[in-house]
Amino acid sequence: MCIPFWISRSRSASLVLLAWSLVLKLDASPAIDLSTVQTMVGAGKIAELKALGKEVLPVMARLYEASDLTQRTRIAQTFYALGWKSAEAKRVLIKDVHTPDQQLRLEVQWALGRVSNDDDVVTVLLNNMQHDANPLFRDKAACALASDQIHLTEQQKVRLFAGLIQALGDSKPDVRRIAMLALQIQTGQTKGFNPDAPLIERDAKIREWKQWLEQYKSNL
Amino acid sequence: MARTIQIQLITLLCCLVTVASAQSVSSNILVSYSFDDTQLATGPDTFAVFARSRGTVRLSGTNKLSGYRSVEIRDVAGDRDFPELQGYFAPRSKGKLFLHFGFMTATPYEEFNIALAGPQWFSLRKDGIGFWLKTREGHLCQVSDSMPKKLFLLEPFVWYAVNTTYDIDQGSYDLVIHKEGLEQPVVSLANQANSANQPGSAVDKFSFIGDTGEDKSNVTYYVDDVMVGVDESIVHLPFVAPGRKKLFIDYWSEAQRNRHMQPGPIEVIGLTDFGIRQKEMEALKAAGLWEQLLQAINGQSVALDVRQETSVEIQRLPQAVALWNEGVKALRERKAADALRRFDEAAALVPSAKIYAMNAVLSLVALQQWDAVDERVSRIYADWQDDVRFVPAMAAIGLARQHLDEAEQWLQGPAEQIPDQLGQDLLRRLRSGAVTPDLVQQLKVRFPDNWDDYIKDVLVAEQYFLVLLWKNQAAAAERFAQRMADRYEALGIPNSRWYERMGDAAFFLGNFTMALQQYEKGVKGNEQSAGILVKLSDVYFRLGDLEKERLYREKIYGTIGTE
Repeated sequence: MCIPFWISRSRSASLVLLAWSLVLKLDASPAIDLSTVQTMVGAGKIAELKALGKEVLPVMARLYEASDLTQRTRIAQTFYALGWKSAEAKRVLIKDVHTPDQQLRLEVQWALGRVSNDDDVVTVLLNNMQHDANPLFRDKAACALASDQIHLTEQQKVRLFAGLIQALGDSKPDVRRIAMLALQIQTGQTKGFNPDAPLIERDAKIREWKQWLEQYKSNL
Repeated sequence: MARTIQIQLITLLCCLVTVASAQSVSSNILVSYSFDDTQLATGPDTFAVFARSRGTVRLSGTNKLSGYRSVEIRDVAGDRDFPELQGYFAPRSKGKLFLHFGFMTATPYEEFNIALAGPQWFSLRKDGIGFWLKTREGHLCQVSDSMPKKLFLLEPFVWYAVNTTYDIDQGSYDLVIHKEGLEQPVVSLANQANSANQPGSAVDKFSFIGDTGEDKSNVTYYVDDVMVGVDESIVHLPFVAPGRKKLFIDYWSEAQRNRHMQPGPIEVIGLTDFGIRQKEMEALKAAGLWEQLLQAINGQSVALDVRQETSVEIQRLPQAVALWNEGVKALRERKAADALRRFDEAAALVPSAKIYAMNAVLSLVALQQWDAVDERVSRIYADWQDDVRFVPAMAAIGLARQHLDEAEQWLQGPAEQIPDQLGQDLLRRLRSGAVTPDLVQQLKVRFPDNWDDYIKDVLVAEQYFLVLLWKNQAAAAERFAQRMADRYEALGIPNSRWYERMGDAAFFLGNFTMALQQYEKGVKGNEQSAGILVKLSDVYFRLGDLEKERLYREKIYGTIGTE
């Protein structure tokens, strides 16, 4: 999982280079050829795609819709790598957020938070984390919630925190565990919550987390 | 363990001889940066500066909480990087730590972040960020218990002093923030949960940056007087208290102590001294010459591996710095002719670098070539007259020069008979302080036989006044300035600069009310002069009027963009 908040170059030079090399557009071509984009995506040429500017995103979205599962997986990876907000990207990706195809599902779950900060992205990932039948998908949804919601504002994080705190009360131990892990990565603390503790102890800690959330909201 | 500083990764104009320095004050001080001192001690790694892309971290002589300089951190949105001043100290995993620093922002609605962190770096976790201040919607916020909490609305161009007592074992801190001019703190909080609410969270570094990676911040802010230690007295440091704030007169006194009859090279206080501004910094980085430049500034031999597409002007920057270094060394070793040659070569390579021309003048002073000194001073006068280093330099020149009583002769002699209007206008401009290369050229044309005498008269009078001050004869200096002002008035020459000098003399004599009166006369017609605005600010400070002190200081902030 990536390091949220403040990334120190001395520690994470590669992360910074990755992040910054992928952010923001350069000059965009007036007309972007679909086949050129297809070739670039296939070859993993992120820098060249980035050089095309954000106008490449709707083209990639159209390509995604017209592609097979393998190609969609590559495009989702590319959306993730670019890290640019895009309504078109979110629109096509979210259609596959329940796909049974394992590779595509993981890439879509990871990419969504990097293309959008819409409320329904957090909602659908929280839902997958708690209710998907496949434990792997649940775990990776939590991973996405912990590390990939890069466009969320402090206000928008309320929804994320509320969902994770609510999931601490889930009947499934693995959900409680991954919800706690995501919350810990987001906030740096657990407030002593143990996902395997007796119910009464867990409830007490969940109340602490809810109080914390109220205080968080009052500071916005 | 007390630390002294070694600049590890410097892109601040940095480890250059005169840059930021930290010194060990006592064994209880882990870090102390005032960014003023000229001595640069060495030791384990203590801080690094990152100023890649278009963002910058550099010294600012204009805006400072104390002393002569602060550090300016300027972020640029969309440049795919962020500037950072990062400092290190011996890891602390228990006990209390005391943190003190001052900051001032020019752009309260632009994000910046200040944090104290541990071995897990700048993430919210145990041993990660322990103390974190950030801006949000114009407010200063603390991040406590994993949430940002608003503290107060920031005012632009106002210094705030932050004092934090960080309890590592408890995972909490006390926070007191003073705003300049106010006796009561604007923030006084006790027992705040640390950033991730983690007792026992170790700390060993701090950082000042713009935004945290979103690349949306266009912040410009200033940091000064950073102190970290285990001594509680750190958080009780006075805020701009008398004796702490250094005034223009303090720079004078320090220079007086340091200089001898033989003028030495003038100290560097910014990259602009080398003709390096934002545009050149970016070009140097793009050309891969940035590291070579820093090596040259540090006096290391430079092997230039220049890309073909790099412009000649950019290639010349590190070459000129290398020559300057050789010149400084030669001048210190009393090899003035060698020094002059080096400085002239450097100036020819980069004419916009004002430090080379001034050091060439000082080399000529050492060679006693006074005609050349006067001509060259007149050429660089306009570039230097508002610089805090200029007055001590002129005084040093005056001290080295003999026969300064020539200045009295001009006062006692009859007024010149200049029949034509052009000649009168040229001399009026010269004596009113508007000395520019263009004026010198016109003087040469109009007075081909004695143009240099006129320049000498003006410069000698100024140097005479300064030497009197230098010799602690402030009353005599004041009387001389009064007579010069009267004479100028009689000749119909603008005399505001001599009123400014009368103010200087009164300031030296401790008569601040009189100094104020003279400066107010002196500022007429010179309302944009940073030199006299600083003095007005200083005299109001001495008179205890902090509102006016700030008013005049803020008038200088207009120079931020061009610094």
